Amino acid sequence: MNVALLLLGYTYRPFITPLPVWDWWFLLLLPLSAAVAVVYKAMKCKSMSQVPREAGIITVWILLAMVGAAVILWGFVRLMER
Amino acid sequence: MIVPPPPIVALVGWLLPGLGYWLIGQRQRGLIIGATIILLFLLGLLIGGIRVVDPPDLTGPGSLIGRILQKPWFIGQFMTGPLGLVSAWVGVRMDLPASTARVWDIGTLYTAIAGMLNLLAIIDSTHRAGQAEGRS
Repeated sequence: MNVALLLLGYTYRPFITPLPVWDWWFLLLLPLSAAVAVVYKAMKCKSMSQVPREAGIITVWILLAMVGAAVILWGFVRLMER
Repeated sequence: MIVPPPPIVALVGWLLPGLGYWLIGQRQRGLIIGATIILLFLLGLLIGGIRVVDPPDLTGPGSLIGRILQKPWFIGQFMTGPLGLVSAWVGVRMDLPASTARVWDIGTLYTAIAGMLNLLAIIDSTHRAGQAEGRS
């Protein structure tokens, strides 16, 4: 789809037009999870040197929780469709 | 170190993310939190376009609360302070088209979560300022 848009002359203008990321939108959950983790741990940790490691761990947990929730909801929808 | 009163820390933290921590002497914390929140907000604008910051029409018919609740995401975006307000103003003034579907969702999520994280930062920095004031 991105190639088609480019062929149609779609020009990405930063802050004006949307980024053509609709085919891999799920990857954008990574920076979001990382940012939430960094801010949370920066508030919680006594020393800022602890933040990178702690934020990294909690980022993985957030992503796993999102994937888990998606799987559960997918299963629920499949069940309801029967 | 003279710590400003908590309401000032709260206001300053809303004006610029992370600045509340800076005022109470926690500069590294303020820098990390502020930079992350601002970066998250700007990423949201880059992903979805500036119109993801979609303010309510305050001049329309109906109650003010009702009009604000028609655009609930703006409540979160508002918490980023002047950054969010200027983005909203620019988007409306330039009459730019809004993005749609998933890209809009993600851009809105980024900007609103940035605002909610700033709210958390404001509460935390204000609490720390109150504790420091109590000790002095």
